[in-house]
Amino acid sequence: MRNRLALVTAAAVLLAACAGGPSGSDGGGTRLSMMLFGGPEEVAGYEAMLAEFEDANPGVEVELTPVGNQDDLLAKLATGFAGGTPPDVFLVNFRKFRQFADQDALAPVQPYLDASDELSAEDFVTPPLEAFRVDGELVCQPQNVSSLVVYYNRDLFEERGVALPTEGWTWDDLLSTAEELTGDGVYGLGTEPALIRIAPFVWSNGGEVVDDQDAPTELELDAGPAREALDWFLDLSLVHGVVPPDVEERSEDAESRFIRGGLGMYLNSRKSVPDLRTIDGFTWDVAPLPVAPGGTPVTMLHSDAYCISAGTGNEDGAWRLVEFAMGTRGQEILAGSGRTVPSRRDVLTSPAFLREDVPPANAEVFVSNAEIARATPNVASWHAVEKLADDILAEIFYGRIDREAGIERLLDETRATFARTGST
Amino acid sequence: MRRALPRLLLAAVALLYASPLLLMVSGSLRGRGLPPPRGVEILPGSPTLDAYATIAEVLPLATYGRNSLVVAALAVPLTVLVGSLAGFGIRLLPPRATRWALAATVGALLVPVTAVWATRFELFRLAGAVDTFVPLVGLALVATSPFLVLVYAFAFWQLPDEQLEAAALDGAGPLRLWWSIGLPQARAATLAVVVLAFTFHWSNFIDPLLYLNRQSLFTAPLGLRLLQQLNPTDWPLLMAGAVLTTLPPVAVFLLGQRAFLGDEGLLATAGRWRR
Amino acid sequence: MRGRGASALPLLAPFGIGIALLLVVPALITFGYAFTDHTGFGTPRFSGLGNLRRAFEDPLAAAALRASVLFALLAVPIRLLVAVGAGIALARPRRGARLGRVLVYLPTVIPDVALALVFLWVFNPLYGPVNGVLGAFGLPQPVWLSTAWGARWAIVIMMAFPIGEAFLVTLAARRSLPAETYEAAAVDGASAWQQLRHVTLPQLAPLLVLLAVRDTILSLQVNFVPAYVLTDGGPDAATLFLPVYIFDQAFEFLGFGYGAMLTLVLFVVTGVLITIQALLARRWGWLR
Repeated sequence: MRNRLALVTAAAVLLAACAGGPSGSDGGGTRLSMMLFGGPEEVAGYEAMLAEFEDANPGVEVELTPVGNQDDLLAKLATGFAGGTPPDVFLVNFRKFRQFADQDALAPVQPYLDASDELSAEDFVTPPLEAFRVDGELVCQPQNVSSLVVYYNRDLFEERGVALPTEGWTWDDLLSTAEELTGDGVYGLGTEPALIRIAPFVWSNGGEVVDDQDAPTELELDAGPAREALDWFLDLSLVHGVVPPDVEERSEDAESRFIRGGLGMYLNSRKSVPDLRTIDGFTWDVAPLPVAPGGTPVTMLHSDAYCISAGTGNEDGAWRLVEFAMGTRGQEILAGSGRTVPSRRDVLTSPAFLREDVPPANAEVFVSNAEIARATPNVASWHAVEKLADDILAEIFYGRIDREAGIERLLDETRATFARTGST
Repeated sequence: MRRALPRLLLAAVALLYASPLLLMVSGSLRGRGLPPPRGVEILPGSPTLDAYATIAEVLPLATYGRNSLVVAALAVPLTVLVGSLAGFGIRLLPPRATRWALAATVGALLVPVTAVWATRFELFRLAGAVDTFVPLVGLALVATSPFLVLVYAFAFWQLPDEQLEAAALDGAGPLRLWWSIGLPQARAATLAVVVLAFTFHWSNFIDPLLYLNRQSLFTAPLGLRLLQQLNPTDWPLLMAGAVLTTLPPVAVFLLGQRAFLGDEGLLATAGRWRR
Repeated sequence: MRGRGASALPLLAPFGIGIALLLVVPALITFGYAFTDHTGFGTPRFSGLGNLRRAFEDPLAAAALRASVLFALLAVPIRLLVAVGAGIALARPRRGARLGRVLVYLPTVIPDVALALVFLWVFNPLYGPVNGVLGAFGLPQPVWLSTAWGARWAIVIMMAFPIGEAFLVTLAARRSLPAETYEAAAVDGASAWQQLRHVTLPQLAPLLVLLAVRDTILSLQVNFVPAYVLTDGGPDAATLFLPVYIFDQAFEFLGFGYGAMLTLVLFVVTGVLITIQALLARRWGWLR
């Protein structure tokens, strides 16, 4: 009797275990797993690329797992590593890869790249490579070189007789443009009050976001040119009212608002392009960020890289996948999704990326941005710093807390987070 | 008047509690990309099923739903098994031990799940069970929630001592007693446990979030979360996703509600449950 | 049935093993990890009271503690009031009673992610029905999820809906009260209110204490999903409940050790709140 009970329980548990299915590699061939964060178009691009990779490598199968946002990606990666089942390859932003690198959880790509017949560092634009280096060694292979740009509703500009943004336009130009566009249910500019949106304005004005790019201990936004830039950015909301107030932003995020025609300009990276391409009511285009008075043109780097998990036994297979994805063909397929700004120089300037049949017409902006894009520090504490900073910046930007007190808090609280360079 | 008022209040509360589901359904029928409604709209002007058609293009919700069903199909029977055995075991204990067992079960109910998130994860990792359904189904080993053990203990209470003793004299072991006397007289409890366990496992969000890495294993709530992240303000689409995710547990609940909310089911047991 | 205790043990074994494996052992390991620098990678190293010191200095940990306690103080009374009130009112067999029970129970079976999404929509400042109703009556329409109290209340209101467990327990408990006492009270000419006050509530008192304890614990942990979906801990950490912060620390920032220490903090907070409840209950004569 007792035995039968044990048997039933065991059977049920066993059944449950089987439902999980196999994972990793087995005798028949290689199974690789890949994880990334991305929207449907982007995921479709990766699926197409992986399909060709599988065709070119019989016996290799890749399972792709897309995750809904960056935070969930990190949580999934953390539990994956902790659980001993990390994806063989994953795509992650340079602002977030370091906590894994510092735990020796990644197999650096530098030796693979050095030994590769297919790829060499010269094939790629520089800023992303720099962003993924730790002590001079390339840890992950950057796959794109997206950057912060200004999307604008061209029809609305013409309707209201406002001059279109041009190369080398200034902060004042952007502000007066935004003011002219605001009204009749339309706001001039949409943006998130986030550190990575503010950073390029700080740099353009000759300031720095942190005290030390390689070993930051605090944000330097309280004085000098950095503070000027921060104030200019905050004024967009607090003084000029050219950005949607909180209640509007909560109801309809800036991107949906832009797509509906309720925004003149919208700050984001290349990420928005697939969604903006669904617009059929008006024409839109991209412009570079405005330059600070007497400042330098610069933008924020947005770049993801293929990281290879260490200790999976699949590192070599994973590199072959990266090699294919970063080859001309692989990058062309991904450029086709509209989401990716290829980091390969030959594809970046090819018709595969600079398409004439679909907007944005001025896609060249992303090409010229590729060399002037700057990165925020890539230390392990950065992700936590950013998360904390963005919460406080939103409070200030939407006028819920006093500006001076808010900035003081911003510095104080992030300083403590920087101090914990490790993760514990 | 003095009688009508409480009744009216009760009706209002009941209606209020039905409203999330109603709002979910009516929200899913709105056309996508319409301007905000003025005032409250019970039903959108020109209801449409567009949002439902779009969902299938955006995410493989059918796969996620099937995964949730597989988890529930394994976990619910196991929950019934573990829960009813434990509930019956408690019934067979001598009075003093019964009190201890009940106290321990209530105590287990009082341990915050958060307290064991990370370390339970470590155990399943050591067992090599991360990225499988095992950790999700494994919860059935604690009868999904100790509460369900209490439901069974509560139901078995009414079994007369004489009947159990007579059967025991005939040589029936505890397992036979459980099978031939306990379970048949606790049908309402079983049905209630099935409903409660199903809704729990279908709805479980945190464990799949922690344990599942491969998209092919994702469950319905994870899929819904993914949908929200991809389309944060597309309300008709999100509400349609919510309706689809909510339909199975609501259906199971409506089918089984008589067992634990009806006057004849589990609640009737309560009337007889006196010592 | 005396003497049958030993033979009951095999029946209890699966559940007992489950509790040991999934509850007791992990809880003990959590206790151990709280004093290490464990990151989820490699071997944890003993770090003494380092994590506790860090928690004391961490403004977000303080914010999380505050958010959790506030939430429990607001949510538990409301949830209990509805669950117990509806449970008592709907317990007696009457026409329409089952329909009422089903409706009250309904939000409990909605998956919490779906329920959270509905409330995200309900509290949408321009599109949402709550502000629609407020606007129709000419009342102010707050930006719910953008202000600290708006966000807190939004989550409290949402959590006032899934109350099925306490509701079910109350239904059953009310049904198990002997009819004779009510008959006696009716003979004495007691009104419905007097019956509730002098017959029903005193008899249910110990159970109510248990429900309050259970709901306090539930409230301190089940707010993970609503906070995760509705507010992501914001604005300005107003809804950064301990479970959300523990999740962030353990799984997003690779601080298993620190997360474990925060879990201990959650344990202690829970213990304190429960003790206060028990003491009050005893003082009011609800518990002997």
